[in-house]
Amino acid sequence: MVNPITLEVVRNALVAHADEMATVLCRTAYNMMIFEVRDYCVGIVDPDGNIVAQNTGGLPIFLADLGAAVKGAIDIHGRDGFEPGDVLISNDPRLCGQHLNNVVVFTPFFHEGELIAFPALRAHWVDVGGGSRGFGSTQSRELFDEGLQICAVKAYRAGKPNEDLLRLIRDNIRFPESSFGDLRAQIAGCRLGERRLGELWKRYGAITMRACIHAIWDQSEKLARAAVRAIPDGVYEASSYMDHDFLALDETLPIQVRVIVAGDEMTVDFSRLPAQRKGPINSGESGAIAAARVAFKCVTQPNGVVNEGEMRPLKVIIPSGTMLSAVAPAPLTFWSASLPTVIDTILKALADVLPDRIPAAHKGDMSGIAMYGRDERRKRPFICLNIFGGGFGAKPDGDGVSGVVSVCQGGVHNAPVEVQEAYYPLTIEAHRLRIDSGGAGLYRGGLGAEIVVAGEQEFFMDTHLQRTKLAPWGLHGGGDAMPMDAVMERLDGTTVSAVALDKQPVLPGERVIVRAGGGGGYGDPFERPVERVQRDVIEGSVSVRTARELYGVAIDAALFTIDEAATRQLRARK
Amino acid sequence: MSENDLSIAIDIGGTFTDLVSWSRRSGRLSYAKSLTTYDSLSNGVFDCLRFAGVNLSEAAWFLHGSTIAINTVIQRKGSRTGLITTRGFRDIYTIARGDRQEAYNLLFSKAEPLAPRDLTMEVDERMNARGEVTRPLDLESARIAVRALVEKGVEAIAVVLLHAYRNPAHEQAVKAVLEVEAPGVYVSLSHEILREFREYERTSTTVLNAYVGPIVANYVRELENRLKTSGFAGNFLVMQSNGGVMSASVAREKPVTMMESGPVAGVIGAGRLGVALGIPDVISFDMGGTTAKASLIEKGEARVVSGYHIGGQGQGHPMMLPVVDIVEVGAGGGSIAWIDAAGGLKVGPLSAGSAPGPVCYGAGGVEPTITDANLVLGRLDPDHFLGGQMKLDLPAARGAIEVRIARPLGLSIEEAALGIVKIADTKMSLAVREVSVAKGHDPRGFALVASGGAGPLHALSIARELSLPRVIVPELPGAFSAFGMLMTDVRHDYVRTLICDLASSDPALLASCFDDMAAEAAATLKRDGVNRDNAILSRALDLRYLGQEYTLTVPLVGAVSLDSLAKARQSFDDKHLAQYSHAAYQEPVEVVNLRLVAVGEIEGRVKSFASVRDLRHIATGNPKGARSVIFEQGAMQCPVFDRDNLVVGATVMGPAIIEERVSTTVIHPGDCLTLLPMGPLLIEVAE
Repeated sequence: MVNPITLEVVRNALVAHADEMATVLCRTAYNMMIFEVRDYCVGIVDPDGNIVAQNTGGLPIFLADLGAAVKGAIDIHGRDGFEPGDVLISNDPRLCGQHLNNVVVFTPFFHEGELIAFPALRAHWVDVGGGSRGFGSTQSRELFDEGLQICAVKAYRAGKPNEDLLRLIRDNIRFPESSFGDLRAQIAGCRLGERRLGELWKRYGAITMRACIHAIWDQSEKLARAAVRAIPDGVYEASSYMDHDFLALDETLPIQVRVIVAGDEMTVDFSRLPAQRKGPINSGESGAIAAARVAFKCVTQPNGVVNEGEMRPLKVIIPSGTMLSAVAPAPLTFWSASLPTVIDTILKALADVLPDRIPAAHKGDMSGIAMYGRDERRKRPFICLNIFGGGFGAKPDGDGVSGVVSVCQGGVHNAPVEVQEAYYPLTIEAHRLRIDSGGAGLYRGGLGAEIVVAGEQEFFMDTHLQRTKLAPWGLHGGGDAMPMDAVMERLDGTTVSAVALDKQPVLPGERVIVRAGGGGGYGDPFERPVERVQRDVIEGSVSVRTARELYGVAIDAALFTIDEAATRQLRARK
Repeated sequence: MSENDLSIAIDIGGTFTDLVSWSRRSGRLSYAKSLTTYDSLSNGVFDCLRFAGVNLSEAAWFLHGSTIAINTVIQRKGSRTGLITTRGFRDIYTIARGDRQEAYNLLFSKAEPLAPRDLTMEVDERMNARGEVTRPLDLESARIAVRALVEKGVEAIAVVLLHAYRNPAHEQAVKAVLEVEAPGVYVSLSHEILREFREYERTSTTVLNAYVGPIVANYVRELENRLKTSGFAGNFLVMQSNGGVMSASVAREKPVTMMESGPVAGVIGAGRLGVALGIPDVISFDMGGTTAKASLIEKGEARVVSGYHIGGQGQGHPMMLPVVDIVEVGAGGGSIAWIDAAGGLKVGPLSAGSAPGPVCYGAGGVEPTITDANLVLGRLDPDHFLGGQMKLDLPAARGAIEVRIARPLGLSIEEAALGIVKIADTKMSLAVREVSVAKGHDPRGFALVASGGAGPLHALSIARELSLPRVIVPELPGAFSAFGMLMTDVRHDYVRTLICDLASSDPALLASCFDDMAAEAAATLKRDGVNRDNAILSRALDLRYLGQEYTLTVPLVGAVSLDSLAKARQSFDDKHLAQYSHAAYQEPVEVVNLRLVAVGEIEGRVKSFASVRDLRHIATGNPKGARSVIFEQGAMQCPVFDRDNLVVGATVMGPAIIEERVSTTVIHPGDCLTLLPMGPLLIEVAE
C-alpha cells in the first residue's frame, strides 16, 4: 500500500503540473479559440492511453479522452519507436473522433531510459486547411473537405525539427502565423511537462510513482461507484431531437438514450441514435463517450478532478456507424454540435430519480459564430470568433443562471464587445438578455443573450445553430424556455433566417441578430411567490403579460404594483 | 521637516488589529495588538493606540490598512448602487463573461451583481474603438436615466460607457448631468477608475468602487476626524493593493484600490527587508489562521499584476486595478484535516477559523486542524501560546487526531499528525512554486521570508521542499503587515489602452499619452504630500506578438523614441522566452496598453533596519528549556530559546525551537540559525 501522505503529495503535484502546462498554452496562444474560448485540454497520458492527470478548467467534453491519440501513436510507432526530443502531432479523427481543428501535440517522457508517459496538449487551431475556417463550414460533405489529416507524425525527431513536414503543413493552411504560434506554445507546454515529470520521478522513483497513480485511479473509482450506488437501480429513458444535420434542413434527428443503473455501474446506451449523416453533425465514437462521461461526472463527482479511474463504473453502448460513432469519410466539422442536447437528454432520463440534483434543460447549443474577411483599414485578413451565452435550467432550489455557455463549455468566455471592435472592423450594436426567454416555474430558467452584429465594412459570417426548434424543456411542472434563433436584416429591408450561414456576406448597413435560448423552468409557476414574479418584472426578466399568462400574477404595467384580487382569481383558475 | 518623528502603522485584519510604530530619531519600535471591532472599526484602532501608549500629537505619519473595502463586498453591505451604460448594453454586467468555472456543477450560481438589473439605465450615445463619436450623447436620455435612479433611492452611481477608455467625453458629460440632477450621490466614472478596454471588467471595477465608495469615504473621514481631535496633525495615508500608499483624500475617491491593503503590506516589507539584508530576491510567505499567501520579490520589487477576482477566480467580482501578485491557498492554522469517502487524507480548504478554532483551543472545535497537529508534534508549547495568554489542550488535540485520522488510516497519532503537517506543507509549497518555479524563477536563488502567526512554524519544511537555501524570520512576524506599511512608498498606477503595431507606431502619439498620465500623477502626488523631487515616474508597455491575447509588461527606458521602443521589443522577446520557454523574434509585436507608475518616497518610512531595535541588551544565548519534538526523522530532544535571549551573530544548530510572543519558529535537524544584527533570524536550510 502506498503511504497516504506521499499519495496526496503526488496527487496535488500531478494536477498542478498539468495546470502549469495549460497556463503556458493559454498565455501564449495565437488564437481566440484557445485564449478566450478555452478550447483546449492538457493531460499526462501513460503509454496504454490512460489519463494520469488532466488540467482543471478547459472544455468539459475533453474529459479523459487524450488517451486515444497516444494509443494511436503507439500502434504506429511501437513502444520502442520514440526517443527523447520527439514531438508528435495528431488530429486524426479515426483516433480522436473529433474535428480536424483539434490538434494534439505530445512528447515522450523517459525516466532512466524507460518510456513512462506523454505530456499532451490538444488545442483548437483556427485553420487546418480544407474548405472551412473558424468553427467549420456547414457545406462540408466528407472529411477531405475539412482539412489536412495528420496521424501521429513526428514534427521533431530527437529534438530536430522535420522542416519538410512543417513546410507542408504551413503551405496548406490559411493562418500559418496563428497555427504555428499555437504549435510553439503546445511544444513549450510539453517540454515543461517533461521537466516537471522528470523532477517528480527522480524524487519518488518509478515504483512509488506507479503505485501512487494506480491508487489515485482506484480512489476515484471508489468514490464514483459509491455515487452510482446511491442512484436507484432501473432503466431510464428519454428522448429529444436535433434540428437537422446542417444539410437536410427540414429533417429532424431523433435522439433517444437509455440509462441503466445497476448496483455501482451505470450504462449509457446510444444504440438508437440515428445512423451517420451526410451533413457535418457527426462525430467519431469519442463524441458519444464524451457526452456520456460529462453527464456521468455531473451526477457523480461534479467537483472532483478529472482522471481515468472515476470513469470505470461507466459503460457506453455505441454501435459503429451512428451519428456519434461515424466512420470515415463522414464529415465531422460540427462534431460537438449535438453534445449539449445529448447530455441534457441523458440528464432528463435521470431527472425523476434525482430530482434534487438535475436542473431543467439549458439552451442546448454551442453557440459559436465566426466573422471574417479582409480588414480594409489594416490591410490584412481577420477572423473573429465569439461564443455567446444562453440560459441554464432552473435548479431544484433556485433560478437558472442567465447568459452562460453550454454544459459542454465550462470555462469558455464570450468575446468582449470592446475587444471585437478594437481588433476587427466590426460593430456590435447590442449584447443583452432576452426578456421572457427563461422557462416559467417555481424556479425560473435563466435568460438567453442576444447579440447584434454589424460591420464597418463588408465581412463574411458563419453560424451553425442547433436547438432552434426544440425548446429547452422544463421539469416537474416548469415551462419550456425560448429556443435559439438568428435572423439577418438585409439592406432591402427583408429579414431572413441566419441559423446556418456559410460565408454569408454582410454589407455595411446589414445586421445579424443571434439569440440564445433560455433555460427551462422547474416546478409549477403558479407556486412562484408573487413578490418574486414582481421582482422579475421590475428587473425586466419577465414581461407583464407573461407574469399574467404563465405565472398568474397581475401586475400594473406602469407602477409594477400587484393587483391582489386579480392575481387570486388568475391563480385559482388552475 | 516636521518636529514630530513618529510613524504609526495600523493594520486591521480579520481577527486582530495590529499597530507598529517607529520613531525616526530613536529608532524605537513599539507594537500592540487588539481585537478587531467589527461594529466600529475605528474603536479597535483607538484601542490599539491606547495599548501602545503612543502619543498622536508626536506622530507625523499615520499609515493605515483596513479590510473595510473587501468586507463590504464580501458581506454585501455596500451602498444601493446604480449603473449607467450605453444603449443596447444594459446586461453586460449581468452576463459577465459567460463562463462556468465549476464546469460539471449543474447547480452553480454566478456572483450576484452589486448593481442590480433594475438599477441599470441606458443612455443614447456611442463611440467606436478609435474614440470617434458615432452617436452623440443625448443629454435628455442621461437626465431621464439619472432621475430614474435618484427616484429609486440610489446612494452611488457608476457610469460605464463603451470605449470611454479611449475617449471619456461622454462620461464627463454624464458627470455634469449627475452634478445637477443627483447632488450628494457618490459617483464613479469608468475612465477615472480604470482606463483600459474590456467592458465587463471595467464595469465590475467601477461598480465595486461605487458600491464601497460611500461607506469607505465615511470611514476614512470619521477616522481622520477622530485622529485630528486626538491631536494628530500629520499625514494620513492609506495602504493600496498595488503595494503603495495614498492620501486619505485620494482613498475616498478610489476606495477600490484598498481591497487587498493588508496582505500586500507584508509583501512590501519582505522585499525591503531582503534589500536591507543584501538578499534582494525573496519569496514572502505569510500563514495565518485560514490561508497561506505567497508572493515573489525580485531585486526588491514585488510583482504587480493587473487585477484579480474578489471572492474567487472566475466566480467573484473582477477588480482589474494593479495588485501585488499573491497566490493564496486554503491552508492555515485552523485548516481541518479529514478523510474523504475513498480513504484519502485531506487538509483544508475548510477551516475552523478563530471560532470555534482548533480542537486544542477548547472552544468547541471537534475537527483536528494543522494547529492541533503541530501541538501533538511538540512544535507548539501548550503553555506558551500567545505568550502564555492561552493554554492549549494537548489531550483533546491527540484525541481528535486519533479518532478522526489515525485510527481510520491505521496510523499512530504521531504519524497522523506528521502526515497532516506534511500535506499542508505540500499544499503551501505548491503556492510558493506557483509564484516562483511556475513563472520561470529558480527558487534556489531566493530566500523565504516567513510571517504570520504560523509562517515560521512551517517555513523550513517548505524551503527544503523547494530547495530554497535560506529562510528569514523578521521581527514581529505576527504583525508583519503593519510593519510592512512602515516601509511603503506612495504609489499610483496609470494605464491607457492604445492598440498599435510597435514597429510602425508614432513615438509622438505614445509620448503625448505618457505625458497625459504624468500630469495626472503629478497632481495626485501633490495631494499625497509628496515632494516632486522625491517622486520617480516609470513607463512601461504591455506588448504581445500579433495574434496573441495575453500581454507581458516591459519597461520603456528613457524618452519615447524609435531606439527605446526597439529596446522594449528586445526585452519583450527575452521575457517571453524566460517565462514561457519560447519566443518569436521575427514576428510583429503589438502595443496594447501604456502604463505609468508614479512612486514617491515618504519621509516617515523606515529606511534603515539597523535602527529598528536595540539588540545590545543583555542576552545570554542560553535556552530556556527543552522538549521532545517530532520530525520526519523521529522524536528528538530540542532546546527551546526565547527569541529575545538570542545573541547577535551566534549560531544555533537545529533541531531547535525559537519562541516569541505571537509566533514559534521550528528549526529542523541540520538547519543553522543566526540572529542578524538588524534583528531578523536567518536560517540556512540543510539539504
